[in-house]
Amino acid sequence: MKTFLFPLLLSLLLSCLVLADPDYNERLDLQPLTPASLLASFNFRSSAPLISYERQHFKYIPRSLGQILQHAKTRELHLRFTTGRWDDESWGARPWGGAKEGGTGVELWAWVEADSDAGSFARWVTLNNALSGLFCASLNFIDSTRTTRPRMTFEPSSIGFNASNEDLYLLHGTLPREVVCTENLTPFLKLLPCKGKAGIASLLDGHKLFDASWQSMAIDVRSVCPSDGSECSIEMEQTVDMVLDIERSKRPRDNPIPRPIPVEGLRCDESKSYLQEGACYPSDVSNGQSWTIAEIFGRPIQGSCLAEDSQGSPTDSVYIHVPNEREMYIYAGTETKHPSGTSRSFTLPKSEPFEMVLSHIGPQSFNNHSIPPLYASRSFTGHGQERGGVQTLLTNPSTTSPISFIYFETLPWFMKPYLHTLTAHLSSSSTPNPHLIKETFYRPALDRRRGTQLELLITIPAASTVILTYDFDKAILRYTEYPPDANRGFDVAPAVIRLLPPFGDAPEQGSQAPVYIRTSSLLLPLPTPDFSMPYNVIILTSTVMALAFGMIFNLLVRRFVGSDEVEGWDAAALKGRVRGRLMALRSRFMKGGKEKKL
Amino acid sequence: MKLLTLLPLTLLPLLTPAHHTSNWAVLVSTSRFWFNYRHLANVLSLYRTVKRLGIPDSQIILMLPDDMACNPRNAFPGTVYNNADRALDLYGDNIEVDYRGYEVTVENFIRLLTDRLGEDVPRGKRLGSDAGSNVLVYMTGHGGNEFLKFQDSEEIGSWDLADAFEQMWEKKRYNEMLFMIDTCQANTLYKHFYSPNIIATGSSEIDQSSYSHHADNDVGVAVIDRWTYYILDFLESQVTSPSSKLTLGNLFDSYDESKIHSKPGLRWDLFPGGEEKGRERLVMDFFGNVQGVEVEGGNETQWREEMRRLEEIITRARARGNVSEGWKSEPPAEQAVVKVERAGKKGVEGAAKVEAGEAWGQRLLGAGALLGCALLWGGVSWLEASR
Repeated sequence: MKTFLFPLLLSLLLSCLVLADPDYNERLDLQPLTPASLLASFNFRSSAPLISYERQHFKYIPRSLGQILQHAKTRELHLRFTTGRWDDESWGARPWGGAKEGGTGVELWAWVEADSDAGSFARWVTLNNALSGLFCASLNFIDSTRTTRPRMTFEPSSIGFNASNEDLYLLHGTLPREVVCTENLTPFLKLLPCKGKAGIASLLDGHKLFDASWQSMAIDVRSVCPSDGSECSIEMEQTVDMVLDIERSKRPRDNPIPRPIPVEGLRCDESKSYLQEGACYPSDVSNGQSWTIAEIFGRPIQGSCLAEDSQGSPTDSVYIHVPNEREMYIYAGTETKHPSGTSRSFTLPKSEPFEMVLSHIGPQSFNNHSIPPLYASRSFTGHGQERGGVQTLLTNPSTTSPISFIYFETLPWFMKPYLHTLTAHLSSSSTPNPHLIKETFYRPALDRRRGTQLELLITIPAASTVILTYDFDKAILRYTEYPPDANRGFDVAPAVIRLLPPFGDAPEQGSQAPVYIRTSSLLLPLPTPDFSMPYNVIILTSTVMALAFGMIFNLLVRRFVGSDEVEGWDAAALKGRVRGRLMALRSRFMKGGKEKKL
Repeated sequence: MKLLTLLPLTLLPLLTPAHHTSNWAVLVSTSRFWFNYRHLANVLSLYRTVKRLGIPDSQIILMLPDDMACNPRNAFPGTVYNNADRALDLYGDNIEVDYRGYEVTVENFIRLLTDRLGEDVPRGKRLGSDAGSNVLVYMTGHGGNEFLKFQDSEEIGSWDLADAFEQMWEKKRYNEMLFMIDTCQANTLYKHFYSPNIIATGSSEIDQSSYSHHADNDVGVAVIDRWTYYILDFLESQVTSPSSKLTLGNLFDSYDESKIHSKPGLRWDLFPGGEEKGRERLVMDFFGNVQGVEVEGGNETQWREEMRRLEEIITRARARGNVSEGWKSEPPAEQAVVKVERAGKKGVEGAAKVEAGEAWGQRLLGAGALLGCALLWGGVSWLEASR
């Protein structure tokens, strides 16, 4: 039980080899990580002969996805939807060696068949758009600025391509901001042969999956041509890994908010020295508590889904990795204890619900988790709105052997790193050590056209920490390029780390499977304008213009006189003026009359 | 005798008043941020209603600008509720969101309505309606006099909407349309519509606000708006089955200003037959689904029909008096991302290896160039001095 990973992988591989029915296979692995958390790892594999796939004869490979892949000439596809952060300090090594998880948000990489770079990019855009419709995710936002072509980080997992490798192009894109929610799970389940209505997939419920501490949904499609010359086949693997907080999952769905427990219900930690009347330190009730499948996932497993081998006898689909001493009860189905003493498996009943109760266990009898081969954490340094720095801490926990890995980063174009500031030094010394970075692949960004791509080959000596740093400038975006929530910051995709064999202290037999680690994504604050600013400017400018125009206009057309020059306005003067005018009129008429008489 | 029994059957399709062949719904929330939870709840309530009454997911375009169900602030992960009793989870287990997050923009909305989308855009993100489709358009968000805000960063004006609908009519993208809007000063949004066969209704008059109905203390924000709440109340309690014979008149008569706290508006004049005919339309004509089959007639009748429509459009445009001679239609500016890339370039376009050794060569070259310049300058000044 030192590492559960490699035995798990190996047993999975073995079980696939032993079982004669290769068309569809599903499996659920339950692995308590800490007394309070549980890793549930769902795996669904389906395969079909390549020839029937090419003739559009679909059985377990879903037609909706198969046709998209054929239309976009995609040979191998890897799609990931991930939320949360894998806590490797307390949970240990990642399931599947990290090969089935993605960075926060959505990550996609694929090998596309094309005759040129431009052609492969066109197919990639087609693929992204089609997948965005299928999975209800904004995958169409993976444009040229988010697309990279990694050199060393990813290797095709397909076996024995007979086509020449020259016309296959690898493209990789990430959307770190993308939210993963029920609308992504719905199409994921619809790809399964039992549509999530039966078998282990009936446990996949958005309310529990998106309440998990960490979850990752993966789809891998690859083709396999065995070297012995037998028929080529296409394989599709769907994986859901989730880490559930047992206490949180057991809360009722209609009342998930923890309310204060009444004093009578409190359980106090007796070991505290300050325990007295009226004071209570609540004990951690969640440690190793008992649980059932229905409590954790909201419902029991609804029968089995195609869990039969070619002879028609039922196969095991639920595995739980707990010591044999821990008591378990099952309703329906059969149990098999494995000779290792740390795991057992169950067959599901055909149509009855399957339920399992795991007894309470004290925290002292809990297994320690395995140690991951590398710890990686990345953060921003510096302050201000113009520039900043990135610092990555990479720790090799092995006390005996050095570790080599590829560190792959894609940065958005508005984050402009300076390659000459890229240094790596051991935490024990402050001077940069040029021998840590063996190789560097770099592709600089072009404004609004592509992002930066950086791939480093790094070797860390045993039991040491390497600090990798570089500085960058922040670009200023155009007013219309800011998203509606610009003040939140801009997400920078997680770095992908691919460990090169041998993996530290890990046993040799696992050296075939790739091991990946991803850092968490970063939130880059960019200088954001006050978005009402243009209106302020317009208003202010208009005001200034109006004032200036008014003054000049006044100066041009008005005549200015002193106040003493203005004639008064009294009744007597008016009367006088009116009388004067009348007098003048009268005298004129009188005069006229006289003239007539003459 | 046989002929006589068949006669009523052949007449039946002619007798049905609304001879539409499909139903589409465009449900749009335009507000981002957690405190606008109620706008997403409004839209999701309508989504559940039209789905309940039979419109399939493939004929519903749902636009959600933010994520409320999986928002870290949501105490009920994976759910959206429209009532404090939390009886109905609107998000459920089966939901298809067609446009979400930053994709909900004015441009995308108008492109969706008018079908000016790139060829790569999948079917699920297109409004595939035709001349036989009844389209329900529901919008909610924050608005004002003749505008509706999208995501707090841009606006759609009432003229934009009116022109988009006119283009839909010209492109034969709807048979009849019910336009519903719940926002402040909502009735101003449909003021400028001028395309036929539209019934429009809004939640509040000019200078009136639309209010939220109530808040859920555990969710922490208001969960639904008043006008939508009472429309849903009617739809949930009275339109209980797809065979319901309730009319739009019944629906609009259920408006109660004392409950809604604003004056809802109606617009009938674009509908043939006006209010009288419009009120007779069934609620199910817009909220439910029909699966009609249209048998294409001979080519000649189709051609004549097209000419008649074109003539009609020109007459209406003349009547509005804003037709200008020689007006040319712009081709749709589709995002031709693909063509920007240089074509025909062979070899892998990727990262280049950074060689540390080259730096010395470059330094030498730089030093050489500097030295050359200095020598040139020195030589010339020496020649000058010697003269």
